[in-house]
Amino acid sequence: MSDKSMIICRCEEVTYEELIETAEKHKCSARELKLRTRAGMGYCGGRTCRNMVESIPRQYLPNKEQLGLVTLKYQPPIRPVHFGDLGGDET
Amino acid sequence: MSQRIKYHPLLEDYKDGKNITFIFNSEEYIGIEGDTIASALLVNGIRTLRYHEETGTPHGLYCNIGQCFECRVNVNHQQGVRACITPIEDGMVIKSQDVLPTPVKDWREKHDK
Repeated sequence: MSDKSMIICRCEEVTYEELIETAEKHKCSARELKLRTRAGMGYCGGRTCRNMVESIPRQYLPNKEQLGLVTLKYQPPIRPVHFGDLGGDET
Repeated sequence: MSQRIKYHPLLEDYKDGKNITFIFNSEEYIGIEGDTIASALLVNGIRTLRYHEETGTPHGLYCNIGQCFECRVNVNHQQGVRACITPIEDGMVIKSQDVLPTPVKDWREKHDK
C-alpha cells in the first residue's frame, strides 16, 4: 500500500492522495480542503485527522502567513449525543 | 481458543473473573467481568465491529480510549455505543452497525474536486 493511498480521515475514508491533490489543485485553506473532501466532517468530529487536514494545505499555499493560519472549527455537539438524552421517550 | 493474554511481562498476572455471556450478531460469546465489549470480542477473535455507513468497509478498534468512535456498536437497540469503553454485562445484545440503506450519491465526480 503506497503511502498515497493511506487513509487520513477514517470516518469519511478520505485518502492522503485525495487531500494533497485537492490542496495542490485549489491552493486552498484547511477549511476549504475540509469542505471539498469532507475530511474532518465525520462522526468523530475531526479528532483523528484534524492536525493532518490542517497541515497538508500549508505546503501548497502561495502566501504562507495568511491562509495557513486558519484552523478548523470545533463544531458542536463536541461529542455525539442521542436525541433520547435530550428528552423524549427512550425507544 | 481464547486469545486472552494471561501472562504479561509488565502487567500483573491474569486473575480469573466471573464469566459473562453476551450476544454479538446473534451468536453467543463469553467474556470475563471487567472486559469491555471490544476486548471481550477480541478475545473471541472478532476484530470487525462495524461496517462503514457508506462504503461498507469493515472497521474495528482503533484508539481504544473512547475518542475516535471507530468501535461504535449497537447495544440493546442503542446506536453509537463505544465498544472500547463500555463494560460487558450479562445478556447484552450487541449488533454491528452496517451500511445505511440510503447511500449518499457520490457528489465528488460532479463537483470540481
